[in-house]
Amino acid sequence: MSAAVSPLEQMVVVLARDLADGELGAAGAAALVPMAAIALARELHAPNLTIGGEMFFNPLPGRLYPSMLDDRALGRCEAAETFIELFGHSHHGLDFFFHSGLQHDAYGNINLHHVGGTLHAPKMRGPGAANLSYCHTSTRFYICPTVHTARNFVEKVDFITIPGHLSGPEAKCEAGLINEGPRFVVTPRAVMDFDKTTLRMRLKSVHAGNTAEEVQRHTGFDLGITGDVPQTPPPTDEELTVLRERIDKTGTLRA
Amino acid sequence: MEGNTNPTRRSKVAGLQDAARLALDALQDRPELCLGGLFKQGRPVALVRALLAAGASGLHVYSSPGAGYDIDLMIAAGAVEQVFIPGVTLENRLCPNFRSAVEAGQVTAHALDALTVVGGLMASAHGVPFQPIDALRGSDVLKHNPLIREIDCPFSGRRIHAVGPIRPRVTFLHAQEADRWGNLRHLSTMVYADQLMARASDMVIASVDRIVPDNVILDDPSRVTVPGHYVDAVVELPYGAHPTASFPNYAMDEDHIDAYADLGDAARAGDRAGLDAYIARHVTGPKSQDDYIEAVGGAGYLARLEAEARKR
Repeated sequence: MSAAVSPLEQMVVVLARDLADGELGAAGAAALVPMAAIALARELHAPNLTIGGEMFFNPLPGRLYPSMLDDRALGRCEAAETFIELFGHSHHGLDFFFHSGLQHDAYGNINLHHVGGTLHAPKMRGPGAANLSYCHTSTRFYICPTVHTARNFVEKVDFITIPGHLSGPEAKCEAGLINEGPRFVVTPRAVMDFDKTTLRMRLKSVHAGNTAEEVQRHTGFDLGITGDVPQTPPPTDEELTVLRERIDKTGTLRA
Repeated sequence: MEGNTNPTRRSKVAGLQDAARLALDALQDRPELCLGGLFKQGRPVALVRALLAAGASGLHVYSSPGAGYDIDLMIAAGAVEQVFIPGVTLENRLCPNFRSAVEAGQVTAHALDALTVVGGLMASAHGVPFQPIDALRGSDVLKHNPLIREIDCPFSGRRIHAVGPIRPRVTFLHAQEADRWGNLRHLSTMVYADQLMARASDMVIASVDRIVPDNVILDDPSRVTVPGHYVDAVVELPYGAHPTASFPNYAMDEDHIDAYADLGDAARAGDRAGLDAYIARHVTGPKSQDDYIEAVGGAGYLARLEAEARKR
């Protein structure tokens, strides 16, 4: 591959590798990276992965779109549903889902409502979010914001829109969050996962071109770095070829 | 009793101003307005503009769980008191006037989620006193959501949630086609929550890109998405969803929405002149949908959106 791997392409490949054949999942609101990951998994190792739960099944878009709530982005799809069926999917859960927000904290909680102030007297009011259920009715979810700074990775979010691991195992259990919750976090800089015992976020690997120190500097809480941090396995030739030639034909992930 | 020897069925076709007055009158007794479509697709924007031009104020606005341009415009025009929509965003950027008004305390934006809104509409549509919800946990939204209560499940004994009926006084929908009796056909891939809202509301007013002959409906009844039984008035409005999309007829006008959002951002920064001019030009100025089409660039401009809608 001639052109260098972009940070978004690296994110897509990390996510795609974790999606399994036969699973049911959906992309969430910020769909660009998740849809590319789902499509890549379907092309490479998960031909029976079903895209569903967001009012359409198995869309075949001609290119990548920032939102799937667009008939052009759906392209041709196998079937359409409505919010009535979404009500049921939200209770039954999916195998995987994706989230990102204004703020993400050390336990994988996500804020989309307000930064500063209070809900009804906010310093900055965010968009809110529609689906608050897939994060815990689904087997797992992934956090994949396309920016990673000390401002959007904070020790504690100002408002928990999407619960991650709350404040750890005890709080999670008390709230009735019985599924895995956020499995890992992938950003343009690195991959973070959660300590099995404390459920606190920690640095797992850094993408090519980044150092652990840089990632820590751009994160508003301690990432628990102890020894050498491995590099995120870069895309293989096959992954990159399929991604660029069959899924992201317009180069959106490199723009 | 004098028998009517030649009874005629009443057409539901209405003009834009008449439809807006009908809605405005109904909203006087209960200001609960609900909008069909989702984000930048299938939104009844021409009806919204007409309602704003007719002087609506103090509205409580519901929608399918995601909205952007139209709710922001209604707030910019000073017509909204409370927002009951879980996600308010232009997707590629935040809604400027929504943000400003909520941050200034001029508008109350309730913390809600999709299941509360959909469940409330389901309870109303089905005629039951509440809809149970058993998929809300761990979010701070639960501490603030004004529409839900905790209940004990009578079967399992577990604590679950209930939402009471959401019964909009008026719902505006946009579909691609209808006959004169108000039978609607969505030709778009997604139908959002439009069918649920139609059954949940006191009054339903729909805009359509075109009115079709009765036989189009009669020859293919399974394609009707909302039976005319639920529809009180239908208005033929070419480009009635603009600047949102009405697939497969025309795509969303991203450039128009972005230019509007730039004016909203300028207003946030203290310069409201551009936003006021926008409202005068697009909302209060046009006397008809034809005037509006001219104001946004005419048929030639909109033909681009038709071509874009055919790209799949």
